[in-house]
Amino acid sequence: MMRPVRAYYPILPVLIGYGILFGIGQMVPGKWQLISQLAFFCALGQAFNLFMGMTGYVDFGYVAFLGVGTYGMAVSIYYLFDKGLGLTMIVIGMILAAVFSTLLSLAVGAVALRLRGAYFAIATIGVNEGFRFLIEGARIWNGSDGMIFSRHMKTAFGRETAMALSMKWADVIVFGVAFLAAVMTLLYMRNKVGYALTALREDEDAAKVMGINVTRYKLIAFITSAILAGLLGASAWALKLTYVYPTDVFAIHYTVEAIIIVLLGGAGTLLGPIVGGLIYGVSKYYLAIVLPGFQLMIFAPIIIMIIVLFPEGTVGILKKRVFGTPLEKFII
Amino acid sequence: MIFEQLSGNLLQGLVLGSVYGMATMGLSLIFGVLQVVNVGHGAFIMVGAFTSLMMFQAAGVPPVLAIPVAFAIGMALGMLFYFGALKPLVSPSGSGIKSLDMRAVGMGAGILVALLVVMRFLSAAFKLHFAITLFVAIIFLYGFLLYIYGGRRQDKAPELATLLVTFSIGVILEESVKQLFTSEARGFNWAIGKLDLGVTVLPYTKLIASFGSLTIAVLLYLWFRKTRAGMAMRSVVEDDVGARVCGVNVDWQYALSFSLGIGLTVTSGVLLTMFIPVGINPYMGGPYTLKSFVIAVLGGLASPYGAFFGGLVFGLVENGSYTLFAQFQGLEPFAMTRFFSFVMLLVILLLRPTGLLKVK
Amino acid sequence: MKKRGLILLVVPFLAIAFFVAPAHAVDSIVIGHPAALSGSYAKAGEQAVGGVQAAVDWVNSVYGGVNVGGKKVPLVYKYYDCESKKESVTSLLERLITTDKVTVTFAPYSSGLTLAGAPVAEKYGIVYMDHGGASDKIFTQGFEYVVQTIGPGSSYHVGTLEMVKKIAPDVKRVALAYEDSEFARSVMDGAEAKARELGFEVVFKRTYPMKVEDLTPLLSDLKASDPEIVIGGGHFQDGQLFNKQMADLDINVKLLSLIAAATLPAFGEALGDLAEGVMGPSHWEYGVTFSEEGAKAAGMTWIGPSQDEYVALFKKAVGKDMLPDYHAAEASAQVLALVLAVEKSDSVDSDVLRKTLGDLTFMSFYGGWDIDDTGKQIGHSMVNVQWQKGERKIIWPEDAQTAKPVFPKPDFE
Repeated sequence: MMRPVRAYYPILPVLIGYGILFGIGQMVPGKWQLISQLAFFCALGQAFNLFMGMTGYVDFGYVAFLGVGTYGMAVSIYYLFDKGLGLTMIVIGMILAAVFSTLLSLAVGAVALRLRGAYFAIATIGVNEGFRFLIEGARIWNGSDGMIFSRHMKTAFGRETAMALSMKWADVIVFGVAFLAAVMTLLYMRNKVGYALTALREDEDAAKVMGINVTRYKLIAFITSAILAGLLGASAWALKLTYVYPTDVFAIHYTVEAIIIVLLGGAGTLLGPIVGGLIYGVSKYYLAIVLPGFQLMIFAPIIIMIIVLFPEGTVGILKKRVFGTPLEKFII
Repeated sequence: MIFEQLSGNLLQGLVLGSVYGMATMGLSLIFGVLQVVNVGHGAFIMVGAFTSLMMFQAAGVPPVLAIPVAFAIGMALGMLFYFGALKPLVSPSGSGIKSLDMRAVGMGAGILVALLVVMRFLSAAFKLHFAITLFVAIIFLYGFLLYIYGGRRQDKAPELATLLVTFSIGVILEESVKQLFTSEARGFNWAIGKLDLGVTVLPYTKLIASFGSLTIAVLLYLWFRKTRAGMAMRSVVEDDVGARVCGVNVDWQYALSFSLGIGLTVTSGVLLTMFIPVGINPYMGGPYTLKSFVIAVLGGLASPYGAFFGGLVFGLVENGSYTLFAQFQGLEPFAMTRFFSFVMLLVILLLRPTGLLKVK
Repeated sequence: MKKRGLILLVVPFLAIAFFVAPAHAVDSIVIGHPAALSGSYAKAGEQAVGGVQAAVDWVNSVYGGVNVGGKKVPLVYKYYDCESKKESVTSLLERLITTDKVTVTFAPYSSGLTLAGAPVAEKYGIVYMDHGGASDKIFTQGFEYVVQTIGPGSSYHVGTLEMVKKIAPDVKRVALAYEDSEFARSVMDGAEAKARELGFEVVFKRTYPMKVEDLTPLLSDLKASDPEIVIGGGHFQDGQLFNKQMADLDINVKLLSLIAAATLPAFGEALGDLAEGVMGPSHWEYGVTFSEEGAKAAGMTWIGPSQDEYVALFKKAVGKDMLPDYHAAEASAQVLALVLAVEKSDSVDSDVLRKTLGDLTFMSFYGGWDIDDTGKQIGHSMVNVQWQKGERKIIWPEDAQTAKPVFPKPDFE
């Protein structure tokens, strides 16, 4: 189905947003880690929103996809570092991350996507925790000993390249994943998938009666979202931090962070996760500096306040305000 | 040998399971009535454990006598959080909302940011006082805005909002308790003898906890079946529109069942300290939240007594499967029991989402 | 109206303006620490921050500042809270290095978070001192600026086993039951190797998951293997649970030693009589007898407060009536190592400091301090404490004893 080009205008503010962020990181010395952390939050929100925002299904175990993605990259580097593959290893790692997260999302999809609402949320928590205990209990990939592969990277690429990979290129990939997630979101929104999912979000039974193959579209969005999460884990956690422990990557608070980001920005909007990620990241960073040790106590009531008083999120409110102005076509 | 171990484990599992079951009843009740999954569940269990600990340490009150106090604290907390945070999101009548005045909101946000900027230049010693002041200021600002504008019910993805709100409530509780009592793991020692059964040993405290759980479960059952108030609440679970037509104040039933659920959860914290009186710390609730989810699903998620039954099954399966997994080389049996319980969760959700029992 | 709505968006960006902080004066030594003050490691993080603060106070008020470049300059401590989250470690560490221009950085608690920060420290070429990451693997990764103060995990239970070998050579049956975490596993592997080397028979070896709520099945299994010695543990909560449920199940052994939990004051408070006779290996304990005289006799440099002075300083630093445990002492010893290294090399340059730290050997109230070429701590030996009549006594090694070991340990009543 062809759509006029102007339907894709909203990608412009996304591009500008990430561009400015990237620019600040490159121009201002000594801020790159902060910028990459912000990009991580934006990407996390963006990828999570792709499925959650469109369908209204809350995947509480979403972090499992990041976890298996991290393992994908880790396995590649840990076991292949002395095979002389060079940078191909990174590519293999990314592919493994995508494959692992696809497989997991298919498995989860087969079970959990039949469920709705709270049942879905609980089932996905079960998947995340169960998977972690499987890795620990059956001692898969070293079990709880995890994998530390800084040395492997240095052996394979040399010290300088390894450093550049983890301190710079990993973050660049995070930006890439964030942008890719935004593009995919917009594509789906302007496509059959998006229409079907919108119908489903409003009333799943009615959508079914209308003859929409609900399961298929749900699965498409779910897998896309999972792959993006896998790539994010592979870059932001494995390649950047060069270690992986199961308790560390299957930690449910990352899902909570994703939900907070999406809600701050506005669920189901394209710009929301970027705005939400920036607000969340910057305020968290600042609170950690200003009030070390108290920031969670301050942050939690603010979250409640925002959810109760601004359920549409920042972009949701903005959307209403620009309605009927020339800006309208840029903001969704 | 294996048989002996298995029967010992199963016995322990049954006793432990009854306490787990009790600890899940509140979660199921809240889900049944409000359709809200309380992600902050574990934090309320922690509050109960601290109640028990504090009363024992301050006045030597045995945990059994702390039950009514804990229940009252739980009811009060439940009311507070229901009206403070959840009502605007779930209440069937909470949708007549004015739109927010952005000037007021902007000013509020501005004041908060200004406070933070000021705080940047304060010494560490002042920060504690400032943090508490800020916390109180935020709560007041929130209360004020809520009073003036009200919240609005969310029709799209209500889970999203309620999951996050209950999670944040949990965080507030944990962090407040941490500020009050530090994050040290504490405990007390209440020993009144043991019962040696040959295959295993059971301290009387565990048996009392188990018996207490059963009593509370039976009382709840009777309350639901025999009293008017209980029946009114049950009618809301069945059909809230119908209940409203019949003259039930659905709004009040929501508040009541939320606070009753929290009351039960906090009480279960006390029972848990009879079982395990050590390792009490602000962050102890997390694992119980996850366990309770599994148990609630076993019991059908929306049914409190189903949850009790689910707890028993869960205790049996978790302790029993240990012996099974211990037979395999190269596996860590303990982690595998956890894996197994989550697999069980998925299987039940898939095959029998109404739970193992079909009681409604 | 529209503009006002945008306030919400603009305000966080205004905060960015504050990132460009005023430049620091060159005449001070600044320690930067992305501490773990909330989240999973909050307890250890709070101790560490108190420990660093106490040592910094001592250096500034008693020692009179750090002697560098011909004058005494004060030591400054700057910490942020990383919430025990890995992403925050990297960004806060970078801020400390680039914006706050710190002289050295301290790692947050735990091996994982230490590893998360290491690439940043390496990138900026700044010394990164590790007081809470016990994993041996950190030092096989080829990091050039990571320096350890805490001893490696594999050595935790070595002294315990040596003690049994010496005082009760006929005791043979050892059970190992540790938490399933990277740290506890490295302790377990070290203990197993040592046990086999000393001729013990390992009759039970299992782990339990982190944040466990009930250990009954594991302990029933352990009971069936009929051990004489039980060593294990992991963190604080599970150690208390371990002891309590051993008592519940009437598992009486000759020796019970638990890492981390059993060495802390809270353990005895929580368990009361049940803790009687329980042991634990510790990096430092109130009561260890390292003194200036002892250091002189051994021909080592001595620095730092005496033990009692230290405890007083610590209580003042945290503002609570709280005893320092080994997490605090490690962090403090690290500060003292830094002071000595700066004075010895008369420089604040990272490469010079790292090299000086590599050659440095000294003693403080914490004990010895010496690192090998990779940065791993080798100069610090551990002590074993035992709960005797509600107090922690040091029972091993013999030259540090404050009481004789009670062996076999009394049965649970």
